[in-house]
Amino acid sequence: MAKDMTLLWGPGSPPCWRIMVALEEKGLQGYNSKMLSFEKGEHKSAEVMKVNPRGQLPSFTVGGTPLNESIGACFYLEDVYKSQGNKLIPDCPKEKAVMYQRIFEAMPLMDKMAIVVYYDYKVPEGERHDSAVKRNKETLTAELKLWEEYLQKTPGGFLAGKTFTLADVVLFPVIAYLFRMGLCEKRYPKLAAYHSALKDRPSIKTTWPPTWKENPQTQDTLKEIVSTESSGECGFSRNRHYIAVFP
Amino acid sequence: MAKSMNLLWGSGSPPCWRVMITLEEKKLQGYKHKLLSFEKGEHKSQEVLEINPRGQLPAFRHGDNIVNESAATCLYLENEFKSQGTKLIPDSPAERALMYQRMMEGLTLTDKLNAVIYYEWFVPEGERHNSAVNRNKEALATELKLWESYLQKVSAGSYLAGAFSLADVIVFPNIAFAFRFGLSVGRYPNLAKYYRFLKDRASIKSSWPPQWLPSAQGFDNLKDL
Repeated sequence: MAKDMTLLWGPGSPPCWRIMVALEEKGLQGYNSKMLSFEKGEHKSAEVMKVNPRGQLPSFTVGGTPLNESIGACFYLEDVYKSQGNKLIPDCPKEKAVMYQRIFEAMPLMDKMAIVVYYDYKVPEGERHDSAVKRNKETLTAELKLWEEYLQKTPGGFLAGKTFTLADVVLFPVIAYLFRMGLCEKRYPKLAAYHSALKDRPSIKTTWPPTWKENPQTQDTLKEIVSTESSGECGFSRNRHYIAVFP
Repeated sequence: MAKSMNLLWGSGSPPCWRVMITLEEKKLQGYKHKLLSFEKGEHKSQEVLEINPRGQLPAFRHGDNIVNESAATCLYLENEFKSQGTKLIPDSPAERALMYQRMMEGLTLTDKLNAVIYYEWFVPEGERHNSAVNRNKEALATELKLWESYLQKVSAGSYLAGAFSLADVIVFPNIAFAFRFGLSVGRYPNLAKYYRFLKDRASIKSSWPPQWLPSAQGFDNLKDL
């Protein structure tokens, strides 16, 4: 029951967003929802620590049981509510295999993005190195190239094949975050097309981060990330931006 | 069934071990497999890259279906072979929620273990700092204390989410890894109990790593934790 579920979340955070997308897809609107602020440190508040000793968002409880790990929550919701809403795990074993793998590949993608976008937040001043910054950018570039290739192999337009699956639930918020951080659409046309095609899907549109709606301007942190097939420049923008602190 | 499966693996790798435990639990013995050497860089060989462009182990194929990423492989196998072998996902929603939670937390535990034990493997010489080493150790100690608390009520047949489940498949190899690298049994009694209860489970015993890849310090990185 949606009423037995409570989600504490932060806007823009891909792990939070993916649970919200899953809840919408399974027709579980009506869950208890509270938006918190990373900037104000509310992810370390007593309210969060009570259900998530890691002091992280999302903090999600189902009937009193904490299920804070977002990918775990998505699997749980599809499992338990299999017969309602949209079917998020395909029957075809081949597509299922791709789906499972892509879901767990979200983790290296997020890690590699975070170490570029939040390098100064994650690495204390005395430990920072230009060599590391350079390597992290190259690593992220290689990772993004892999995802461009993945999207080339699934002409259905979704990550696992012909239908929207848990892989898209898990990954769309990460890909949206990349573009929010200024990833160049011209250099990553497949990712851009994916982003564009899915942003109006009801479950995604309804749960679009409110802070992004208020301030639609993208940042330029990832503007210079190049693919080896790069062509064309991307516009430079110098506006001050809202930053969603990555948990 | 098993004969159409191929696993490329490395010894002492918790992710590889998880897949092997699952194959045993689902009665899929007889799968093709090949032991490769991390030290010789065989995880970056063409043979691996053809299945896993990331050049990582485990690399797993079932017929035409490739499923890399150990947790993905384990979930795929449990899903495809639900009706044979051990049931690895509990029925009750509360236990299932707990299982998914601990399973995913197990991946965080892996990262924190690697950050300490294989620090020199991941961080180039010019970028290493004692401050980072110490911070990684503290983060791992905090993480392990959390797992101690999760296993307060561990007993025979009652593990991370009740009966043996995918949570244990994912996490047990990490715990064995930690003890192999010197974690104190005295300071982590619940983890030690968990380890003792499960080390002789058939699927675990039969797939026990033939050897472990030493860290730059050998095998006692965690003795002071």
